[in-house]
Amino acid sequence: MPAEGGSCLYHGMCKILTIGDAMKKNIFYLIIGFVALALFAILWYSVETFTPVLFMIAFVAGVVFLYLVYRRVEDFIEDERSARITEKAAMRTLQVFWVCFCAFSIMAVMNLLYMPRFTREFWLDRRTQPVPLELMSLKTIGYVQLGFLCLMIFLYVGFRFYYAKKFGEWESDEE
Amino acid sequence: MKNKIKVYRAMQDLTQEDLAKAIGVTRQTILAIEKGKYVPSLDLAFRISRHFKVNIEEVFSYEEGVRTVDID
Repeated sequence: MPAEGGSCLYHGMCKILTIGDAMKKNIFYLIIGFVALALFAILWYSVETFTPVLFMIAFVAGVVFLYLVYRRVEDFIEDERSARITEKAAMRTLQVFWVCFCAFSIMAVMNLLYMPRFTREFWLDRRTQPVPLELMSLKTIGYVQLGFLCLMIFLYVGFRFYYAKKFGEWESDEE
Repeated sequence: MKNKIKVYRAMQDLTQEDLAKAIGVTRQTILAIEKGKYVPSLDLAFRISRHFKVNIEEVFSYEEGVRTVDID
């Protein structure tokens, strides 16, 4: 019975990715839900067994799978206006994001290179040893990275709303 | 950039949805162009005017001194 179930799942996947007909939008949303659930379960398992690599691989595989499925959806109409909204939002996000990321990276590199801190005492008496900066902990770097991810999502969504409004996404129709 | 899409649509008794389907864009794009919120590419402008079987200048006209596409 489990073998039959596995085979059924395999054939289902093949149908979705290769030989199936074009897909409707609602089916795609359903698949997103299933993938999110599966990823949540894998995240849970990864935390319990302390195997972060497993979740990392599963996350990338999930995103690639969703992209392949997305290509089969027939009722997502993307025209030049929606492409322009996406393009402008992505460009502005990148423009703001790289400044923040660059500032943090410079700080991190300064930390890695163990740059000393020149205190007032050092300038008054050059024989005093400069005080080195405390090294940033991995935990802090992780939190900052998470913060950057949130910032990127926040910026992209914000810019998307801005450009969608600008290019008449929610214009009322008098027809 | 000014346009007479609405006029030509009315003349040919087309809804925004009909025109959008015929030229392969969303209805929202037609609405945005009609309202001047979005300036179409040359390709789309030609497709629209060809759909109405008129020259592009008859549907779209350029206003001197009025900049409709800003950089931001």
